[in-house]
Amino acid sequence: MATETTSYTCISCPIGCPLQLEHEVDTIREVAGNNCDRGAKYARQEFTDPRRSFSTTIPIAGALHRRLPVRLSEPVPKDRILEAAQRIHLLSAEAPIRCGEVLLRDLLSIDGIDVVACRTMLPLE
Amino acid sequence: MNRRYDVVVIGGGPAGLGAALAALDAGTESVLVVEREPEAGGILRQCIHSGFGLHHFKEELTGPEYAERFVQKAIDRDIDVVPNAYVTGLALDSDDTRLVRVLSERDGLSTIECSSVVLAMGCRERTRGAIRIPGSRPAGVLTAGLAQKMVNMMGYLPGRRIAILGSGDIGLIMARRLVLEGCDVVGVFEILPYSNGLTRNVVQCLDDYGIPLHLSTTVAEIHGRDRVEAITVAPVGADLQPDMSKAWRETCDTLLLSIGLIPENELSQSIGANLDLVTGGPIVSSSMETSLPGVFACGNVLHVHDLVDFVTEEALRAGRFAGQWARGVRRPPDTVSLVPGRNVRYSVPHTLSPDRPHTIYLRCKERMQPCVLRVGDLINKKLSFVVPAEMIRLKIRPSLLDNFYGDRLTIDIDPRD
Repeated sequence: MATETTSYTCISCPIGCPLQLEHEVDTIREVAGNNCDRGAKYARQEFTDPRRSFSTTIPIAGALHRRLPVRLSEPVPKDRILEAAQRIHLLSAEAPIRCGEVLLRDLLSIDGIDVVACRTMLPLE
Repeated sequence: MNRRYDVVVIGGGPAGLGAALAALDAGTESVLVVEREPEAGGILRQCIHSGFGLHHFKEELTGPEYAERFVQKAIDRDIDVVPNAYVTGLALDSDDTRLVRVLSERDGLSTIECSSVVLAMGCRERTRGAIRIPGSRPAGVLTAGLAQKMVNMMGYLPGRRIAILGSGDIGLIMARRLVLEGCDVVGVFEILPYSNGLTRNVVQCLDDYGIPLHLSTTVAEIHGRDRVEAITVAPVGADLQPDMSKAWRETCDTLLLSIGLIPENELSQSIGANLDLVTGGPIVSSSMETSLPGVFACGNVLHVHDLVDFVTEEALRAGRFAGQWARGVRRPPDTVSLVPGRNVRYSVPHTLSPDRPHTIYLRCKERMQPCVLRVGDLINKKLSFVVPAEMIRLKIRPSLLDNFYGDRLTIDIDPRD
């Protein structure tokens, strides 16, 4: 069976190592080019089940600003990012909200992926 | 707000909050932070993506989370923050008293006495005027950071079909952000042959969403009367001038500019602080003191950083020395000037002293790999690569200057085999 090489750029940190993943069909043989363990982990994940995290905002009432920034607790499958963003955009919040508060559990019915507020917003006095 | 503080910090972003906390840690009693916006936290409040804090907190945070940790510490330590406020003037009265004129929504115009001042006003974005794009002047041409504030805090979209000029990190991040909000992003256009942003942002903000990055390409004209209707883009030659024979038209209603940042130094200039013409920020000693005694500076007002973690590091240093100044500590002037040499655009601070460790921040002029970083004959550090977009950070041990009797050290970056 021929060994093939797939190239990735690591997105785990700002260095951005160029990674080469050697594989025979679906079996990973080796990862090269990484400066740390996160690079090897990223390449393996990217080859088998690419995932991404992202931040977005939802409307909030009664606070200083009109939008509340939110993030994901865990990354979602890369091909479902837009679907995830659309689902989150159906949410809305009302002050007070605390940083770290969970606004939606199991996004897209995937266990353990929560939508989390990434700042505190107190009610306007 | 009182009439007198030990230290007044101008700007309540990560630099100002870090400096305020460090001034308290240095033993001062009272610190005032003057903030232009309705709340402290700075531009991080609108940078909702993650990637902050890997150095300082050893974990990956979003901008608002990083800001909130510092805002919370400021609240816990009883630091006075005056929001919706501007500093309109600063006078050096005597050795021990500085007068700060503050205009605020809450207290009107007031004069605050203090011992030392920290400049932490941050930076602002370069605009269309800085690069003189030909064409009409319709609505829909705005900086990437302004679009970021509109989308992430105010709840407005800047347009529906977006083109982005410049591949700085803010531009790349806004490309992804606008796609998630349902906009079409027609492309990112970069005049240089390489991206100005981090490679990982090209991957996760453009490649993931199929947004094209056109290198060596610029916007040659903006079309539209009331609103942007289209732009003409063209590849550039080695002279960076557009080749109009290869130009094409992109239909869009919005053009975002991500073309660089300028330290915000109108106040520093008005009080007579000496500025570095390359960084656009004040010239500072190793204690982050400007040419004006008792006036310190840190963060993006000093030089534009790429990582907030290093802003915090610098701010903690500036705040500590500002706090010590307020407590009456006077240090002898630095003895060694640090001068940018071959392939070094700038370095900060501008002088060093032999009595304590230092951290030097510098940027190269052009990409080089592999290379060696030299500080006089004292340091020879091998680096695998340098690029202008990534700041280089160099630690210097006090013992390094033990046997150095000169008054000037040149920093060079040279190629190696």
